[in-house]
Amino acid sequence: MLLYILRRLVLLVPILLGLTLLLFIVARILPGDPVGLAAGPNATPELIAQMKREFGLDQPLPLQYWNYLTGLVSGDWGMSVFTRRPVFADILEYLPATIELVFASLFIAVVVGIPLGLLTAVYKNGPLDYATRTVALGGIAMPRFFLGLLLQMAFAAWLDILPLSGRYPLIESPPDHVTGLYTIDALIAGDWSAFQIALSHLALPAIAMALSPLATIMRMMRSSTIEVLQQDYVMTERALGLSNRLILFKYVLKNAMTSTLTVIGLYVSWLLGGTVLVETVFDWPGLGLYATQAILTQDFMPVIGVTLVIAIIYLVAMLVVDLLYGVFNPKVRYA
Amino acid sequence: MTMTPIAIPKRTQSARLENWSRAFYRFRQSWLSIVGLAIVVLLVVIAIFAPWIVPYPEHVVGGTNTGARFQPPSANAWFGTNALGQDMFSLVLVGSQVSLFSGLAVVFIAIVVGTAVGAIAGYFGGWVDEVLMRITDLLLTIPSLILAMAVAAALGTGVWNMIIAISITWWPAYARLVRGEVIVKKEEQFVVAAHALGANWLRILGKHILPNIVSPIVIKASLDMGFAILTVASLGFVGIGVKPPTPEWGTLLSGARSYMPDYWWTAVAPGIAIFLAVLAFNLLGDGLRDVLDPKARR
Amino acid sequence: MALLDIKNLNLAMRSYEGETQILHGIDLKIERGEIWGMVGETGSGKSLTGLSVSRLIASPPGRYLAGSIEFQGRDVLKATDKEMRMLRGRHIGMIFQDPTTNLNPAFRIGTQLVDVALHAGHADPSVLGLGAGASRGDFKKAAKRVAVEMLEKVGIPKAADRIDDYPHQFSGGMRQRVLIAMAMIGKPDLLIADEPTTALDVSVQAQILRLIHDLVAERNIGVLLITHNLGIVAQICSHVAVMFRGRILEAGKVNDVLKRPSHSYTQALLNSVPTVHTKRGELMGLSGAMRETSA
Repeated sequence: MLLYILRRLVLLVPILLGLTLLLFIVARILPGDPVGLAAGPNATPELIAQMKREFGLDQPLPLQYWNYLTGLVSGDWGMSVFTRRPVFADILEYLPATIELVFASLFIAVVVGIPLGLLTAVYKNGPLDYATRTVALGGIAMPRFFLGLLLQMAFAAWLDILPLSGRYPLIESPPDHVTGLYTIDALIAGDWSAFQIALSHLALPAIAMALSPLATIMRMMRSSTIEVLQQDYVMTERALGLSNRLILFKYVLKNAMTSTLTVIGLYVSWLLGGTVLVETVFDWPGLGLYATQAILTQDFMPVIGVTLVIAIIYLVAMLVVDLLYGVFNPKVRYA
Repeated sequence: MTMTPIAIPKRTQSARLENWSRAFYRFRQSWLSIVGLAIVVLLVVIAIFAPWIVPYPEHVVGGTNTGARFQPPSANAWFGTNALGQDMFSLVLVGSQVSLFSGLAVVFIAIVVGTAVGAIAGYFGGWVDEVLMRITDLLLTIPSLILAMAVAAALGTGVWNMIIAISITWWPAYARLVRGEVIVKKEEQFVVAAHALGANWLRILGKHILPNIVSPIVIKASLDMGFAILTVASLGFVGIGVKPPTPEWGTLLSGARSYMPDYWWTAVAPGIAIFLAVLAFNLLGDGLRDVLDPKARR
Repeated sequence: MALLDIKNLNLAMRSYEGETQILHGIDLKIERGEIWGMVGETGSGKSLTGLSVSRLIASPPGRYLAGSIEFQGRDVLKATDKEMRMLRGRHIGMIFQDPTTNLNPAFRIGTQLVDVALHAGHADPSVLGLGAGASRGDFKKAAKRVAVEMLEKVGIPKAADRIDDYPHQFSGGMRQRVLIAMAMIGKPDLLIADEPTTALDVSVQAQILRLIHDLVAERNIGVLLITHNLGIVAQICSHVAVMFRGRILEAGKVNDVLKRPSHSYTQALLNSVPTVHTKRGELMGLSGAMRETSA
């Protein structure tokens, strides 16, 4: 098992190498003039040349790639032309906000989607089933950014019970930095009011991101539960007197989880990419907002950095999903 | 032994026609698919005839009417007017053109490129397969929205640049699908027979294998149409892609953000348009899947 | 008072074509110590009769038109869901046909056995050898102990080690032994076995039948063995009921029915069993006409 994890981690290295090369090529082939943009319209050719030297953009491409690679390993992920700060430092600053948002929405989607899927399968074709399926159809088609705007309109503007945007009030200082996730940090510090403030900011963007995965997880869970309920062993369990609750939440749930797990894994990537949209709507200071600003100014080092980080998170998530398969399906063996 | 002539039962319909009518029967079974189809047809009609049916054609090409800024929805302007006094109804109707066209183009390009790559990788196997699939896998690990945004930003504004950018991130999924199907079909008897008759690879792929894997591609394409439209709108929303005055749903929505919640109608109209278009194609795709792949039916 | 007394049971099932009556007035009485074989062809209603005793037919689609199923004097058709659950596992054990699909593949066999034992123990603590005031911990410990004992009893070698294995780590015959252990762990008074050996190798079939036979003899319980195999009936049953199209054509002691069948259908059924003495051309099939006239 440990050996399997180690081998999978080693296999990540060539994938990441290929990824950096691909991104590097894409970034250099594409037209665009980041230095010109950063220097402003009145920059002299001398200034531009000097800035190019500063960022190492005047060297031959293979050398640039080699420099980039060696830099990556030593934590030097290049400079952002736009923020004029090291990309690595920027990413470290913005990463926790994105992690918090992505995990909060994944948590909502799983914790609501799985029981709903189970229940709608049991009460198939009942009113609850029809209601949730209709909402699910809409939930999958709903654009995240539009849902975000609607939520802002309803809960921030009209009802005025949740903040419109941002991650924490600007005038107040967030809880002491431990994990960088404000809700967790507030709990660690035992600061209940800070936790409430952080949670109230997190709620709307997390819900906006969660609806579509929630709907998909629910649909997947519903169909696999219906399939499992028809299995012979469920009849045996009923025939020997086990309670419906025990059968459903223990014996059926675990069997129905396997196919749902695949969907959850795929949604990690979808959620990470979607931060670009939702963080823009809610001014959430995470990687998505950072990447959007970098893209709009054609500042490629941050884009490569963010893409790399997201790809790493995605690959690790897929590994976790593969390991979880073994938990839900004992026939899976790691060799 | 005596031979008795076998009477072949007369058909009122050809076999192909019968297949189609049976497929249509299955499609009709689900009223949601019919709703989806109806909205899609309506969207296509609107997109084609929009220039002639909009009430304020001058607003669509950039004309403004600052005297009538932020009018709430009324009989004159069904969806209200925006910050420039333009009629939202006209803008949303014409916005369907960009969305439908780019969605269709993205899916089309992705199918062509993905099928070519997947078919070659699956048919030849070996190192060709290895190289093509490694590249495909790499592209699949990158979040497609961010990659599309980066490429679109680098290429500059314009519908075609946006289409190319999104297509780059979409073909790998088709390559994976087609490769899997080709590998399965490659082993079937009729392909082996064609091989034995001396058909070359292009003929075997084009005449014998690809026509037999159309169903899964069509199913994926119809389910993807909605998400292609969603991606186009997403790029517009973050400020990449089509630039005004060309109306585009995502861009319209992004422009409305600064005037929320007071002038909510500027956001609600394009938002609902995106929602309806995506929903309609999803419903249609579900229906088509039931028709073409009855086994997957739940 | 009989252990099980089925009187005039009429069952109808609803399908897309409408409601069809499946059981037409079944009468059957089983006492302790009797092994009843229920034979008949596919679709004759044997399995539905068995499932009815544990009231495992959902309604809809099932609907009882008339009759009663008295288990130890109480009509199960009139029992509440909770009373029914207390009967299942504790008083009525069931074994089904296919051992590969009747064990839950995602759970250790120990987990499944312990849960059934706990259920039976909550209905009656004496099953686990406990008094009324036993704690949760006591229940868990006792259930685990009883599970190992039961596995040993059905002939699983090294039961204490294998209890933590998953179903796919057992062979088909061993899985059926595990399922028998699950059915018997609650010390039931009645065992319903629905084609328990059909999916097994012939060599394993005999072992499983012997196991069922020995357990029944030891515990003095009643058995309803549903099968289409007259050979099995002749080997281990004390009584037999012949079913055809939702009716019991004849019932009684095995020796009486099989030696002197009073009904032509039973005779035909007997003629369709091949034996080593059957000569070429003597083996009979049941023709459609035969089936029509006997109905």
